[in-house]
Amino acid sequence: MTEISMTPAPSIHTGEAAKARLKKRHNAEKRLRAYGIIAISLAALALMALLYNIFARAVNVRTEHYITIAADIAEDENDFLKVVKSAAKEAFPFASGRTQRRQVYGLFSDGAADDMRNAAGAGTLETGESVERRFLLSDDVDLYLRGTFGAPEERDAQGSLTVTEDGKKILLESTAADFNAAVGVVKAGLAAQAERLREEAGRQTAGVDALTTRLPSLEGPELEDTKAQIEGFQAKRAQLLAQADALDATVTAQDSGRMKLTNRMPSFFVRANGGILKLTEVSNTTALAKPLVPSDGTQTGAWSLFSLDRPETGRPVKDFQVALIENLRAKDRIEAVTNWRFFTSSDSTQPEIAGIYGALIGSMWTMLVTFSLAFPIGVMAAIYLEEFAPRNRWTDFIEVNINNLAAVPSIVFGLLGLAVFLHFFGVPRSSPLAGGLVLALMTLPTIIIASRASIRAVPPSIRSAALGLGASKVQTTFHHVLPLAMPGILTGTIIGMAQALGETAPLLMIGMVAFITAVPEGVTDSATVLPVQVFNWANASERAFDMRTAAAIAVLLGFLVVMNMLAIILRKRFERRW
Amino acid sequence: MTESNPPLPRAKFQCRGVNVHYATTHAIKDNDIDIYDKSVTSFIGPSGCGKSTFLRCLNRMNDTIEICRVTGDIRLDDVDIYGSDIDPVQLRARVGMVFQKPNPFPKSIFDNVAYGPRIHGLAENRADLDAMVESSLRSAGLWDEVKDRLSSSGTGLSGGQQQRLCIARAIATQPEVLLMDEPCSALDPIATEIVEELISSLGETYCVVIVTHSMQQANRISERTAFFHLGELVEYETTHNIFNTPKDDRTIGYVSGRFG
Ligand SMILES: Nc1ncnc2c1ncn2[C@@H]1O[C@H](COP(=O)(O)OP(=O)(O)O)[C@@H](O)[C@H]1O
Ligand SMILES: [Mg+2]
Repeated sequence: MTEISMTPAPSIHTGEAAKARLKKRHNAEKRLRAYGIIAISLAALALMALLYNIFARAVNVRTEHYITIAADIAEDENDFLKVVKSAAKEAFPFASGRTQRRQVYGLFSDGAADDMRNAAGAGTLETGESVERRFLLSDDVDLYLRGTFGAPEERDAQGSLTVTEDGKKILLESTAADFNAAVGVVKAGLAAQAERLREEAGRQTAGVDALTTRLPSLEGPELEDTKAQIEGFQAKRAQLLAQADALDATVTAQDSGRMKLTNRMPSFFVRANGGILKLTEVSNTTALAKPLVPSDGTQTGAWSLFSLDRPETGRPVKDFQVALIENLRAKDRIEAVTNWRFFTSSDSTQPEIAGIYGALIGSMWTMLVTFSLAFPIGVMAAIYLEEFAPRNRWTDFIEVNINNLAAVPSIVFGLLGLAVFLHFFGVPRSSPLAGGLVLALMTLPTIIIASRASIRAVPPSIRSAALGLGASKVQTTFHHVLPLAMPGILTGTIIGMAQALGETAPLLMIGMVAFITAVPEGVTDSATVLPVQVFNWANASERAFDMRTAAAIAVLLGFLVVMNMLAIILRKRFERRW
Repeated sequence: MTESNPPLPRAKFQCRGVNVHYATTHAIKDNDIDIYDKSVTSFIGPSGCGKSTFLRCLNRMNDTIEICRVTGDIRLDDVDIYGSDIDPVQLRARVGMVFQKPNPFPKSIFDNVAYGPRIHGLAENRADLDAMVESSLRSAGLWDEVKDRLSSSGTGLSGGQQQRLCIARAIATQPEVLLMDEPCSALDPIATEIVEELISSLGETYCVVIVTHSMQQANRISERTAFFHLGELVEYETTHNIFNTPKDDRTIGYVSGRFG
């Protein structure tokens, strides 16, 4: 003590050591700031990535694709599926055989018939013979048109083309090496196949080596068996290598004649005389082709090639369908139209006609039930516990249990709902009422805890002031404490409601995962909700549900934002009253 | 203050054998005191001696403290205020209270003052209420300062104004007694002077009881002064006598500034 007090005072806070301490503190502060900025940037980055990922996929939903063809629609038509079929038959009369006909029908969505049925119901359906009408295309065609399976690659032709019939096939001869690319593809395919054969041969070698090392330790019949096995492997290897060599020879040969293009290789199409053909065998200047869309009789001599990189076996839209689509696309018969259907229709097994409306309304009903139960009960419970309940073992017990309830996994509430609400009280399955009840249970602890905290935060002096004026406990609470606590209560409520809105697990337990295509008209109708819809679509096998899943998530986020804004407006209103 | 004892007015409060316990703390020990109407009575004493506690017995604010237990006999106009037929809420309308820290409601100035009349249904109509608010604010000497901004928030006033707003709010309920717990301790000297004047004038119409730790203040504004020490009422006399001819040693020590 004495030594310290004897040190001259100024040097303690101004000396070299002090400067070093100061520098150290400044550095520490800088470091902390840097950590904070890094943490926030990381969080922001993660959020951006998430939002980008969702919205980049969701925007695809903004359009849907239609085809315009003529249809005969009778005045009192009621079988609209048949109308679509006959219109399709009419539009593509050259489709022969069951496969091609099925592929023609596969271009159309069931939504095409639904649209006509709805229009007929509304009295806006145009009837008559050969009415030009837009028909909704199927999800696969829609995806193809968006380039999901790769965009067709256009190749200009150099030479002039001679077309001759060669039995069922058609022989194409060009004056230039226009089929080079196709030949290249075939050769690459063959080379890859040769490579695979060599790998297989390599495995035979490994087998031979393994058995050979075991030979010295064997004797008798076992030795004989193994020797036979080794011979078998060697023979197989020789055969594989011979095949590979043969393939390589074809690949390297200057003119190896016409080679087959299989459906495991990219597809090549030729546009000529208004029709579309698919190449089946190619050499550099000649090709055998299969007509997919017959010539419309024009003889301009102009022709072109286009190809699809993805082999026919790897995509749901087959070569015949590609030919039909590309033919009509060239004639401007296919158009992309703003997709309102997504916001006005409910779930469906067919992605192109599935919409979010049913789930949105289901979520609204469910949230309504949740709010109108959880909010008043939660706030009243909080008021009672904070302002009126005596402090004793009972209220302590209740308090502990409420805090524990907030930590219970949500699926447990689902089980409870199933056992109590559905089985005991007979609440309808899958209904917003059942869902709302379960979610209200789940949300209650959150609301109670938040409300208690914000009631407790009201300064006691306000209570004393009111009590001192002769206000009763109830008057004090409702005139002063509750309004002051309201902003905090609303914040807690919105957190609880947001949780409830995004909750899936407990709703699965009470049957809200069921496939429901009707829009609920009340809290007892069967319904689904947004997060369950997202869950269902994310599990669906159809590719086209992908973007709809993203769009449904976007709608869910939008719902959340709207709900939050509502709470903020309410809160502002409460705050403004002071 | 006059040299001779003022004529005794009617005793508003008669307290006999009052004891207060907080759980294990014996805060008020068997006190007897008469508090007179139309005068200002000061409670003085060192911190923690039980002045606030005793004050809160008079309007049963102690009821709101769970661990607090009050025994003994406290009569307001000869009626036991701890009797079973007394509603404490009703009692607090008769015995108003002003707190140490100004605590206006976070509402408009008008709503602050109008709150008491509203909950007790004192005003017949809006004009009535307006008049009540105006007269209360006038009595509290605040009217001229706030008459143009009655709808602005009461919490936006200065500390002294807030305390006078709280006094106006207490007066508006038309109580018979006004309890004040160190009303000037959070105020600057100028605001204190204004409030002190206000208290003196209120003493002409109300029974005012004020807790203060400032002996000068007690001297300036009160007719009678009670000195508390460690929960005991040591001496209760006219203010003049307490400060000039204290009898008990503890009082002598306190008023001459030797402790507390
Ligand atoms: N709410 C309370 N809970 C427990 N003890 C209290 C409470 N209020 C006051 N006391 C105790 O009672 C005694 C008197 O306090 P108080 O009346 O506030 O004194 P003063 O106002 O004279 O400073 C003190 O010992 C204090 O600790
Ligand atoms: Mg005190």
